[in-house]
Amino acid sequence: MNSIEVSGLTKRYGRVEALEGADLSVGRGEIFGLVGPNGAGKTTLIKGLVGALRPSGGTARVMGLNPLRDRAVLRQRIGYMPQSAALYEDLSARDNVRFFGAAHRTPDLKKKVDELMHFSDLSGRADDPVHTFSGGMKRRVSLACALVHRPEVIFLDEPTAAVDPQLRSRFWKTFRELAGDGATLFISTHLMDEAMLCDRIAILRKGRIIATDTPQGVLEQGRTRLTVVHDDTDTKETIGGHPEDLAAALRPYGLQPGVTAIGVETDSLEAVVLSLIEKAEVG
Amino acid sequence: MRRTVLVAGRVVRQLLRNPRFLVLSVAAPLVIVYLLKIFFDTLPETFDVARYAVPVAAFLVHFLAFLLCAISLVQERTMGTMERMFVNGFRRTEIIAGYVLGFLGLATFQAVAGLAEAIWLFELDYDEETLGMLFVVVWLLAIASVMLGIFISTFARHEGQVFPFVPLIILPSVFLSGLLVEVDELPAWADWLGHAFPLFWANDVIQDVIESGWSFEDVQGSLAVLAAYSVVLLLLASLTLREVE
Repeated sequence: MNSIEVSGLTKRYGRVEALEGADLSVGRGEIFGLVGPNGAGKTTLIKGLVGALRPSGGTARVMGLNPLRDRAVLRQRIGYMPQSAALYEDLSARDNVRFFGAAHRTPDLKKKVDELMHFSDLSGRADDPVHTFSGGMKRRVSLACALVHRPEVIFLDEPTAAVDPQLRSRFWKTFRELAGDGATLFISTHLMDEAMLCDRIAILRKGRIIATDTPQGVLEQGRTRLTVVHDDTDTKETIGGHPEDLAAALRPYGLQPGVTAIGVETDSLEAVVLSLIEKAEVG
Repeated sequence: MRRTVLVAGRVVRQLLRNPRFLVLSVAAPLVIVYLLKIFFDTLPETFDVARYAVPVAAFLVHFLAFLLCAISLVQERTMGTMERMFVNGFRRTEIIAGYVLGFLGLATFQAVAGLAEAIWLFELDYDEETLGMLFVVVWLLAIASVMLGIFISTFARHEGQVFPFVPLIILPSVFLSGLLVEVDELPAWADWLGHAFPLFWANDVIQDVIESGWSFEDVQGSLAVLAAYSVVLLLLASLTLREVE
Protein backbone atom coordinates (compact mmCIF):
# COMPACT_ATOMS: atom_id res chain seq x y z
CA MET A 1 0.00 0.00 0.00
CA ASN A 2 1.25 3.47 -0.88
CA SER A 3 1.73 5.94 1.97
CA ILE A 4 -0.06 8.71 0.11
CA GLU A 5 -2.72 8.46 -2.59
CA VAL A 6 -4.30 11.54 -4.10
CA SER A 7 -6.91 11.40 -6.82
CA GLY A 8 -8.59 14.37 -8.50
CA LEU A 9 -8.09 16.58 -5.43
CA THR A 10 -9.55 20.06 -5.87
CA LYS A 11 -9.83 23.07 -3.61
CA ARG A 12 -11.67 26.28 -4.46
CA TYR A 13 -11.57 29.54 -2.50
CA GLY A 14 -14.49 31.41 -4.01
CA ARG A 15 -13.59 31.84 -7.68
CA VAL A 16 -9.97 30.89 -7.19
CA GLU A 17 -9.13 27.27 -7.87
CA ALA A 18 -6.09 26.52 -5.68
CA LEU A 19 -5.99 22.84 -6.63
CA GLU A 20 -7.34 21.53 -9.94
CA GLY A 21 -7.59 17.80 -9.74
CA ALA A 22 -4.21 16.77 -8.35
CA ASP A 23 -3.28 13.10 -8.75
CA LEU A 24 -0.24 11.44 -7.22
CA SER A 25 0.91 8.49 -5.19
CA VAL A 26 3.90 8.19 -2.87
CA GLY A 27 5.38 4.89 -1.75
CA ARG A 28 6.51 4.00 1.76
CA GLY A 29 10.04 5.15 2.53
CA GLU A 30 10.08 7.53 -0.41
CA ILE A 31 11.22 11.15 -0.34
CA PHE A 32 8.76 12.94 -2.57
CA GLY A 33 9.33 16.55 -3.58
CA LEU A 34 6.66 19.03 -4.56
CA VAL A 35 8.13 21.70 -6.81
CA GLY A 36 6.46 24.81 -8.19
CA PRO A 37 6.33 28.59 -8.12
CA ASN A 38 4.62 30.64 -5.42
CA GLY A 39 0.87 30.21 -5.51
CA ALA A 40 1.10 26.90 -7.39
CA GLY A 41 -0.88 25.11 -4.67
CA LYS A 42 1.93 23.32 -2.78
CA THR A 43 0.82 24.44 0.67
CA THR A 44 -2.84 23.81 -0.17
CA LEU A 45 -2.01 20.24 -1.19
CA ILE A 46 0.00 19.62 2.00
CA LYS A 47 -2.78 21.08 4.17
CA GLY A 48 -5.28 18.83 2.41
CA LEU A 49 -3.15 15.80 3.25
CA VAL A 50 -2.69 16.65 6.95
CA GLY A 51 -6.42 17.33 7.39
CA ALA A 52 -6.06 21.07 7.97
CA LEU A 53 -8.16 21.85 4.93
CA ARG A 54 -11.43 20.47 3.56
CA PRO A 55 -11.02 19.72 -0.18
CA SER A 56 -13.75 20.80 -2.59
CA GLY A 57 -13.52 17.48 -4.43
CA GLY A 58 -11.49 14.35 -5.08
CA THR A 59 -9.99 11.95 -2.58
CA ALA A 60 -6.86 11.82 -0.47
CA ARG A 61 -5.56 8.92 1.60
CA VAL A 62 -2.57 8.87 3.90
CA MET A 63 -1.65 5.34 5.01
CA GLY A 64 -5.09 4.36 3.75
CA LEU A 65 -6.77 6.85 6.08
CA ASN A 66 -8.99 9.77 5.16
CA PRO A 67 -7.23 12.93 6.46
CA LEU A 68 -10.55 14.40 7.66
CA ARG A 69 -12.76 11.49 8.64
CA ASP A 70 -9.94 9.51 10.30
CA ARG A 71 -7.97 12.50 11.57
CA ALA A 72 -7.93 11.37 15.20
CA VAL A 73 -6.00 8.20 14.25
CA LEU A 74 -4.00 9.69 11.40
CA ARG A 75 -2.63 12.64 13.37
CA GLN A 76 -0.84 10.30 15.75
CA ARG A 77 1.11 8.93 12.80
CA ILE A 78 2.05 12.03 10.83
CA GLY A 79 4.47 14.90 11.38
CA TYR A 80 3.86 18.35 9.96
CA MET A 81 6.13 21.35 9.59
CA PRO A 82 4.14 24.31 8.25
CA GLN A 83 5.60 27.04 6.05
CA SER A 84 5.47 29.61 8.87
CA ALA A 85 7.47 28.94 12.04
CA ALA A 86 4.25 28.15 14.01
CA LEU A 87 6.00 28.29 17.38
CA TYR A 88 5.23 29.85 20.77
CA GLU A 89 7.59 32.81 20.70
CA ASP A 90 7.55 33.42 24.47
CA LEU A 91 8.53 29.82 25.19
CA SER A 92 11.96 28.28 24.79
CA ALA A 93 12.94 25.98 21.93
CA ARG A 94 12.92 23.06 24.37
CA ASP A 95 9.45 23.96 25.71
CA ASN A 96 8.04 24.12 22.18
CA VAL A 97 9.39 20.72 21.18
CA ARG A 98 8.36 19.20 24.51
CA PHE A 99 4.79 20.55 24.18
CA PHE A 100 4.19 18.95 20.77
CA GLY A 101 6.03 15.79 21.77
CA ALA A 102 3.89 15.41 24.92
CA ALA A 103 0.72 15.69 22.82
CA HIS A 104 1.63 12.29 21.32
CA ARG A 105 2.63 10.58 24.59
CA THR A 106 6.14 10.26 23.14
CA PRO A 107 8.16 7.78 25.23
CA ASP A 108 11.55 9.01 26.56
CA LEU A 109 10.47 12.52 25.67
CA LYS A 110 13.25 14.27 27.58
CA LYS A 111 15.93 12.23 25.80
CA LYS A 112 14.33 12.78 22.39
CA VAL A 113 14.05 16.53 22.98
CA ASP A 114 17.74 16.66 23.96
CA GLU A 115 18.68 14.68 20.83
CA LEU A 116 16.67 17.03 18.62
CA MET A 117 18.21 20.10 20.25
CA HIS A 118 21.62 18.65 19.43
CA PHE A 119 20.63 17.69 15.89
CA SER A 120 19.27 21.20 15.26
CA ASP A 121 22.48 22.71 16.60
CA LEU A 122 20.47 24.47 19.30
CA SER A 123 21.84 22.85 22.46
CA GLY A 124 23.43 26.14 23.57
CA ARG A 125 20.20 28.11 23.07
CA ALA A 126 17.63 25.44 23.93
CA ASP A 127 16.29 27.35 26.94
CA ASP A 128 16.17 30.78 25.29
CA PRO A 129 12.82 32.17 24.18
CA VAL A 130 12.13 31.60 20.51
CA HIS A 131 11.49 35.31 19.86
CA THR A 132 15.25 35.87 20.28
CA PHE A 133 16.04 33.43 17.42
CA SER A 134 16.86 34.14 13.78
CA GLY A 135 14.55 32.88 11.02
CA GLY A 136 16.81 29.90 10.33
CA MET A 137 16.91 28.91 14.02
CA LYS A 138 13.11 29.03 14.16
CA ARG A 139 12.95 26.68 11.14
CA ARG A 140 15.18 24.26 13.05
CA VAL A 141 12.92 24.32 16.10
CA SER A 142 9.89 23.91 13.87
CA LEU A 143 11.44 20.86 12.20
CA ALA A 144 12.27 19.38 15.61
CA CYS A 145 8.59 19.80 16.62
CA ALA A 146 7.54 17.84 13.52
CA LEU A 147 9.96 14.97 14.14
CA VAL A 148 9.83 14.56 17.93
CA HIS A 149 7.22 11.76 17.97
CA ARG A 150 8.91 9.77 15.19
CA PRO A 151 6.03 9.97 12.69
CA GLU A 152 5.58 7.50 9.84
CA VAL A 153 4.70 10.12 7.23
CA ILE A 154 6.31 13.56 7.46
CA PHE A 155 4.97 16.62 5.64
CA LEU A 156 7.51 19.43 5.39
CA ASP A 157 6.50 22.73 3.78
CA GLU A 158 9.75 24.37 2.63
CA PRO A 159 11.76 22.99 5.55
CA THR A 160 15.11 24.49 4.65
CA ALA A 161 14.06 28.04 3.77
CA ALA A 162 16.52 30.44 5.50
CA VAL A 163 18.69 27.54 6.71
CA ASP A 164 22.42 27.78 5.98
CA PRO A 165 23.96 25.30 3.47
CA GLN A 166 25.87 23.33 6.13
CA LEU A 167 22.79 22.71 8.26
CA ARG A 168 20.68 22.06 5.16
CA SER A 169 23.06 19.30 4.25
CA ARG A 170 22.66 17.85 7.75
CA PHE A 171 18.85 18.08 7.44
CA TRP A 172 18.96 16.13 4.19
CA LYS A 173 21.19 13.50 5.71
CA THR A 174 18.55 13.08 8.44
CA PHE A 175 15.72 12.99 5.88
CA ARG A 176 17.55 10.19 4.07
CA GLU A 177 18.05 8.29 7.35
CA LEU A 178 14.37 8.68 8.24
CA ALA A 179 13.40 7.39 4.79
CA GLY A 180 15.85 4.50 5.27
CA ASP A 181 14.00 3.62 8.47
CA GLY A 182 10.75 3.44 6.50
CA ALA A 183 9.35 6.94 7.01
CA THR A 184 7.78 8.69 4.02
CA LEU A 185 8.72 12.31 3.46
CA PHE A 186 6.57 14.73 1.47
CA ILE A 187 8.54 17.92 0.97
CA SER A 188 7.69 21.13 -0.83
CA THR A 189 10.63 23.17 -2.03
CA HIS A 190 11.66 26.05 -4.24
CA LEU A 191 15.25 24.89 -4.37
CA MET A 192 16.21 22.78 -7.36
CA ASP A 193 19.36 21.38 -5.77
CA GLU A 194 17.04 20.06 -3.03
CA ALA A 195 14.59 18.66 -5.57
CA MET A 196 17.53 16.69 -7.03
CA LEU A 197 17.88 14.93 -3.67
CA CYS A 198 14.29 13.61 -3.76
CA ASP A 199 13.43 10.14 -5.02
CA ARG A 200 10.65 11.59 -7.15
CA ILE A 201 9.25 15.03 -7.72
CA ALA A 202 5.94 16.45 -8.91
CA ILE A 203 5.83 19.81 -10.65
CA LEU A 204 2.82 21.83 -9.66
CA ARG A 205 1.58 24.79 -11.67
CA LYS A 206 -1.58 26.74 -10.89
CA GLY A 207 -3.05 23.88 -8.89
CA ARG A 208 -2.33 21.25 -11.53
CA ILE A 209 0.41 18.60 -11.49
CA ILE A 210 2.10 18.87 -14.89
CA ALA A 211 4.81 16.23 -14.42
CA THR A 212 5.75 13.51 -11.96
CA ASP A 213 9.04 11.69 -12.35
CA THR A 214 12.43 11.07 -10.81
CA PRO A 215 14.62 14.19 -10.86
CA GLN A 216 16.78 12.42 -13.49
CA GLY A 217 13.68 11.63 -15.55
CA VAL A 218 12.65 15.29 -15.48
CA LEU A 219 16.18 16.33 -16.42
CA GLU A 220 16.06 14.05 -19.44
CA GLN A 221 13.13 16.06 -20.75
CA GLY A 222 15.50 18.99 -21.05
CA ARG A 223 17.52 20.01 -24.10
CA THR A 224 21.21 19.49 -24.68
CA ARG A 225 23.21 22.08 -26.58
CA LEU A 226 26.26 20.96 -28.50
CA THR A 227 28.82 23.50 -29.59
CA VAL A 228 31.31 22.53 -32.27
CA VAL A 229 34.33 24.81 -32.76
CA HIS A 230 36.25 24.78 -36.08
CA ASP A 231 39.75 26.25 -35.92
CA ASP A 232 40.01 26.95 -39.63
CA THR A 233 36.87 29.06 -39.83
CA ASP A 234 36.90 30.23 -36.26
CA THR A 235 33.16 29.62 -36.11
CA LYS A 236 30.95 28.01 -33.54
CA GLU A 237 27.87 26.00 -34.35
CA THR A 238 25.32 25.22 -31.71
CA ILE A 239 22.97 22.33 -32.15
CA GLY A 240 20.08 21.90 -29.74
CA GLY A 241 18.29 18.67 -29.03
CA HIS A 242 17.77 15.75 -26.74
CA PRO A 243 20.74 13.52 -25.87
CA GLU A 244 19.65 10.82 -28.32
CA ASP A 245 19.67 13.35 -31.16
CA LEU A 246 23.29 14.31 -30.61
CA ALA A 247 24.85 11.38 -32.37
CA ALA A 248 22.95 12.26 -35.55
CA ALA A 249 23.93 15.90 -35.14
CA LEU A 250 27.63 15.00 -34.88
CA ARG A 251 27.63 12.47 -37.70
CA PRO A 252 28.31 14.99 -40.54
CA TYR A 253 31.42 16.19 -38.73
CA GLY A 254 33.05 12.81 -38.34
CA LEU A 255 36.31 13.35 -36.58
CA GLN A 256 37.71 16.04 -38.83
CA PRO A 257 41.04 17.40 -37.59
CA GLY A 258 39.54 20.88 -37.88
CA VAL A 259 37.16 20.19 -35.04
CA THR A 260 39.14 21.31 -32.03
CA ALA A 261 36.52 21.32 -29.30
CA ILE A 262 33.06 19.96 -28.59
CA GLY A 263 31.12 21.56 -25.77
CA VAL A 264 28.07 19.90 -24.28
CA GLU A 265 25.71 21.85 -22.09
CA THR A 266 22.64 20.26 -20.53
CA ASP A 267 19.64 22.12 -19.13
CA SER A 268 19.58 22.43 -15.35
CA LEU A 269 16.59 21.05 -13.47
CA GLU A 270 15.43 24.61 -12.92
CA ALA A 271 15.53 25.30 -16.66
CA VAL A 272 13.60 22.09 -17.40
CA VAL A 273 10.99 22.86 -14.75
CA LEU A 274 10.57 26.40 -16.08
CA SER A 275 10.29 25.09 -19.60
CA LEU A 276 7.65 22.55 -18.57
CA ILE A 277 5.72 25.29 -16.77
CA GLU A 278 5.91 27.54 -19.83
CA LYS A 279 4.78 24.69 -22.07
CA ALA A 280 1.82 24.05 -19.76
CA GLU A 281 0.91 27.73 -19.89
CA VAL A 282 0.99 27.79 -23.69
CA GLY A 283 -0.76 24.45 -24.13
CA MET B 1 -7.93 15.54 30.00
CA ARG B 2 -4.14 15.07 29.73
CA ARG B 3 -3.93 17.28 26.65
CA THR B 4 -6.22 19.86 28.31
CA VAL B 5 -3.75 20.11 31.19
CA LEU B 6 -0.91 20.35 28.65
CA VAL B 7 -2.57 23.32 26.93
CA ALA B 8 -3.37 24.98 30.29
CA GLY B 9 0.23 24.56 31.49
CA ARG B 10 1.56 25.98 28.28
CA VAL B 11 -0.84 28.98 28.43
CA VAL B 12 0.27 29.74 32.02
CA ARG B 13 3.97 29.47 31.08
CA GLN B 14 3.38 31.86 28.19
CA LEU B 15 1.58 34.34 30.43
CA LEU B 16 4.37 34.26 32.99
CA ARG B 17 7.08 34.77 30.37
CA ASN B 18 5.43 37.75 28.73
CA PRO B 19 6.12 40.83 30.92
CA ARG B 20 4.03 43.19 28.77
CA PHE B 21 1.07 40.86 29.04
CA LEU B 22 1.49 40.55 32.80
CA VAL B 23 1.73 44.31 33.26
CA LEU B 24 -1.36 44.87 31.14
CA SER B 25 -3.41 42.19 32.85
CA VAL B 26 -2.39 42.82 36.47
CA ALA B 27 -0.89 46.27 36.93
CA ALA B 28 -3.15 48.18 34.53
CA PRO B 29 -6.45 47.47 36.37
CA LEU B 30 -4.82 48.40 39.69
CA VAL B 31 -3.60 51.70 38.25
CA ILE B 32 -7.00 52.47 36.73
CA VAL B 33 -8.79 51.79 40.05
CA TYR B 34 -6.36 54.21 41.68
CA LEU B 35 -7.11 56.87 39.02
CA LEU B 36 -10.80 56.30 39.70
CA LYS B 37 -10.13 57.00 43.39
CA ILE B 38 -8.44 60.32 42.50
CA PHE B 39 -11.41 61.22 40.30
CA PHE B 40 -14.02 60.27 42.93
CA ASP B 41 -12.15 62.33 45.52
CA THR B 42 -12.99 65.48 43.55
CA LEU B 43 -16.73 64.79 43.74
CA PRO B 44 -18.99 66.16 46.55
CA GLU B 45 -19.10 64.09 49.74
CA THR B 46 -22.74 63.26 49.06
CA PHE B 47 -21.62 61.19 46.05
CA ASP B 48 -22.31 57.48 46.67
CA VAL B 49 -18.84 56.00 46.04
CA ALA B 50 -19.90 52.49 47.06
CA ARG B 51 -22.51 52.44 44.27
CA TYR B 52 -19.75 52.68 41.65
CA ALA B 53 -16.41 51.51 43.09
CA VAL B 54 -16.85 47.72 43.00
CA PRO B 55 -18.87 47.68 39.73
CA VAL B 56 -16.14 49.69 38.00
CA ALA B 57 -13.47 47.30 39.33
CA ALA B 58 -15.63 44.42 38.06
CA PHE B 59 -15.90 46.10 34.66
CA LEU B 60 -12.10 46.43 34.40
CA VAL B 61 -11.66 42.73 35.17
CA HIS B 62 -14.38 41.92 32.61
CA PHE B 63 -12.83 44.07 29.88
CA LEU B 64 -9.23 42.90 30.33
CA ALA B 65 -10.02 39.21 30.80
CA PHE B 66 -12.10 39.31 27.59
CA LEU B 67 -9.53 41.23 25.57
CA LEU B 68 -6.43 39.32 26.66
CA CYS B 69 -8.02 35.91 26.20
CA ALA B 70 -9.45 36.79 22.78
CA ILE B 71 -6.11 38.20 21.57
CA SER B 72 -4.13 35.20 22.87
CA LEU B 73 -6.35 32.79 21.00
CA VAL B 74 -6.34 34.84 17.80
CA GLN B 75 -2.52 34.94 18.00
CA GLU B 76 -2.58 31.14 17.97
CA ARG B 77 -4.34 31.37 14.62
CA THR B 78 -2.13 34.07 13.10
CA MET B 79 1.10 32.37 14.25
CA GLY B 80 -0.04 29.01 12.86
CA THR B 81 0.18 27.26 16.23
CA MET B 82 -3.59 26.62 16.31
CA GLU B 83 -3.34 24.64 13.06
CA ARG B 84 -0.25 22.89 14.40
CA MET B 85 -2.07 21.91 17.60
CA PHE B 86 -4.92 20.41 15.58
CA VAL B 87 -2.54 18.49 13.31
CA ASN B 88 -0.79 17.20 16.44
CA GLY B 89 -4.05 15.66 17.61
CA PHE B 90 -5.45 18.29 19.99
CA ARG B 91 -9.24 18.49 19.86
CA ARG B 92 -11.34 21.63 19.97
CA THR B 93 -12.70 20.87 23.43
CA GLU B 94 -9.17 20.20 24.75
CA ILE B 95 -7.86 23.52 23.42
CA ILE B 96 -10.81 25.52 24.76
CA ALA B 97 -10.83 23.79 28.15
CA GLY B 98 -7.04 24.28 28.36
CA TYR B 99 -7.48 27.99 27.74
CA VAL B 100 -10.24 28.21 30.35
CA LEU B 101 -8.03 26.47 32.91
CA GLY B 102 -4.98 28.56 32.00
CA PHE B 103 -6.85 31.86 32.20
CA LEU B 104 -8.76 30.83 35.34
CA GLY B 105 -5.68 31.56 37.43
CA LEU B 106 -5.27 34.97 35.84
CA ALA B 107 -8.99 35.74 36.20
CA THR B 108 -8.89 34.72 39.88
CA PHE B 109 -5.89 36.93 40.52
CA GLN B 110 -7.48 39.86 38.69
CA ALA B 111 -10.72 39.41 40.65
CA VAL B 112 -8.93 39.27 44.03
CA ALA B 113 -6.52 42.13 43.29
CA GLY B 114 -9.09 44.47 41.70
CA LEU B 115 -11.64 43.89 44.43
CA ALA B 116 -9.14 44.15 47.28
CA GLU B 117 -7.75 47.40 45.94
CA ALA B 118 -11.21 48.94 45.43
CA ILE B 119 -12.28 48.00 48.97
CA TRP B 120 -9.04 49.28 50.49
CA LEU B 121 -8.80 52.54 48.52
CA PHE B 122 -12.45 53.49 48.89
CA GLU B 123 -12.51 52.36 52.53
CA LEU B 124 -15.55 50.20 51.98
CA ASP B 125 -16.69 48.41 55.10
CA TYR B 126 -18.34 45.09 54.29
CA ASP B 127 -18.83 42.00 56.42
CA GLU B 128 -17.14 38.71 55.49
CA GLU B 129 -20.20 37.26 53.76
CA THR B 130 -20.55 40.31 51.56
CA LEU B 131 -16.86 40.30 50.71
CA GLY B 132 -17.08 36.59 49.88
CA MET B 133 -20.08 37.13 47.61
CA LEU B 134 -18.43 40.12 45.90
CA PHE B 135 -15.41 37.94 45.16
CA VAL B 136 -17.64 35.12 43.83
CA VAL B 137 -19.52 37.42 41.49
CA VAL B 138 -16.41 39.18 40.14
CA TRP B 139 -14.75 35.80 39.69
CA LEU B 140 -17.80 34.41 37.83
CA LEU B 141 -17.80 37.55 35.67
CA ALA B 142 -14.09 37.04 34.93
CA ILE B 143 -14.76 33.45 33.85
CA ALA B 144 -17.68 34.58 31.66
CA SER B 145 -15.33 37.20 30.17
CA VAL B 146 -12.74 34.51 29.34
CA MET B 147 -15.50 32.46 27.66
CA LEU B 148 -16.67 35.54 25.77
CA GLY B 149 -13.07 36.14 24.65
CA ILE B 150 -12.76 32.54 23.43
CA PHE B 151 -16.10 32.76 21.59
CA ILE B 152 -15.34 36.10 19.93
CA SER B 153 -11.86 34.94 18.93
CA THR B 154 -13.44 32.34 16.65
CA PHE B 155 -14.74 35.20 14.45
CA ALA B 156 -11.40 37.00 14.12
CA ARG B 157 -8.64 36.04 11.71
CA HIS B 158 -6.12 38.48 13.21
CA GLU B 159 -5.71 40.57 16.36
CA GLY B 160 -7.13 43.71 14.73
CA GLN B 161 -10.45 41.96 14.14
CA VAL B 162 -10.95 41.56 17.91
CA PHE B 163 -11.14 45.31 18.52
CA PRO B 164 -14.45 45.99 16.69
CA PHE B 165 -16.06 43.75 19.31
CA VAL B 166 -15.01 46.20 22.06
CA PRO B 167 -17.43 48.97 20.94
CA LEU B 168 -19.97 46.31 19.94
CA ILE B 169 -20.06 44.33 23.18
CA ILE B 170 -17.92 45.78 25.96
CA LEU B 171 -18.61 49.53 25.76
CA PRO B 172 -22.43 49.26 25.41
CA SER B 173 -22.42 47.14 28.54
CA VAL B 174 -21.08 50.17 30.47
CA PHE B 175 -24.23 52.14 29.64
CA LEU B 176 -26.82 49.36 29.51
CA SER B 177 -25.90 47.11 32.43
CA GLY B 178 -26.88 49.45 35.27
CA LEU B 179 -23.29 50.44 35.97
CA LEU B 180 -23.90 54.19 35.51
CA VAL B 181 -27.69 54.50 35.69
CA GLU B 182 -30.48 52.16 36.77
CA VAL B 183 -31.68 50.14 33.77
CA ASP B 184 -35.30 50.93 34.75
CA GLU B 185 -34.64 54.52 33.73
CA LEU B 186 -33.62 53.47 30.20
CA PRO B 187 -36.08 52.96 27.30
CA ALA B 188 -37.70 49.51 27.35
CA TRP B 189 -35.63 48.22 24.42
CA ALA B 190 -32.36 49.33 26.06
CA ASP B 191 -33.44 47.75 29.36
CA TRP B 192 -34.13 44.50 27.48
CA LEU B 193 -30.82 44.72 25.57
CA GLY B 194 -28.93 45.37 28.83
CA HIS B 195 -30.01 41.92 30.07
CA ALA B 196 -27.91 40.36 27.29
CA PHE B 197 -24.61 41.54 28.85
CA PRO B 198 -22.90 39.50 31.59
CA LEU B 199 -21.97 42.75 33.34
CA PHE B 200 -25.69 43.42 33.91
CA TRP B 201 -26.07 40.26 36.00
CA ALA B 202 -22.83 40.85 37.88
CA ASN B 203 -23.83 44.43 38.66
CA ASP B 204 -27.27 43.23 39.77
CA VAL B 205 -25.62 40.97 42.39
CA ILE B 206 -23.11 43.67 43.43
CA GLN B 207 -25.84 46.30 43.99
CA ASP B 208 -27.89 43.78 46.01
CA VAL B 209 -25.05 42.72 48.32
CA ILE B 210 -23.55 46.17 49.00
CA GLU B 211 -26.90 47.14 50.50
CA SER B 212 -27.27 45.77 54.01
CA GLY B 213 -29.59 42.87 54.70
CA TRP B 214 -29.14 40.80 51.54
CA SER B 215 -29.69 37.05 51.47
CA PHE B 216 -28.45 34.36 49.07
CA GLU B 217 -32.00 33.95 47.71
CA ASP B 218 -31.84 37.58 46.51
CA VAL B 219 -28.81 36.95 44.31
CA GLN B 220 -28.94 33.29 43.34
CA GLY B 221 -30.95 33.95 40.17
CA SER B 222 -28.42 36.46 38.78
CA LEU B 223 -25.50 34.23 39.83
CA ALA B 224 -27.11 31.31 38.00
CA VAL B 225 -27.54 33.43 34.85
CA LEU B 226 -23.88 34.47 35.05
CA ALA B 227 -22.78 30.84 35.39
CA ALA B 228 -25.12 29.80 32.56
CA TYR B 229 -23.59 32.55 30.43
CA SER B 230 -20.19 30.86 30.75
CA VAL B 231 -21.58 27.43 29.91
CA VAL B 232 -23.46 28.65 26.84
CA LEU B 233 -20.45 30.63 25.55
CA LEU B 234 -18.23 27.60 26.11
CA LEU B 235 -20.58 25.43 24.07
CA LEU B 236 -20.85 28.04 21.32
CA ALA B 237 -17.05 28.43 21.19
CA SER B 238 -16.66 24.63 20.92
CA LEU B 239 -18.96 24.72 17.91
CA THR B 240 -17.45 27.73 16.16
CA LEU B 241 -13.70 27.14 16.65
CA ARG B 242 -12.54 26.21 13.15
CA GLU B 243 -10.45 23.06 12.99
CA VAL B 244 -10.40 22.80 9.21
CA GLU B 245 -10.18 25.58 6.60
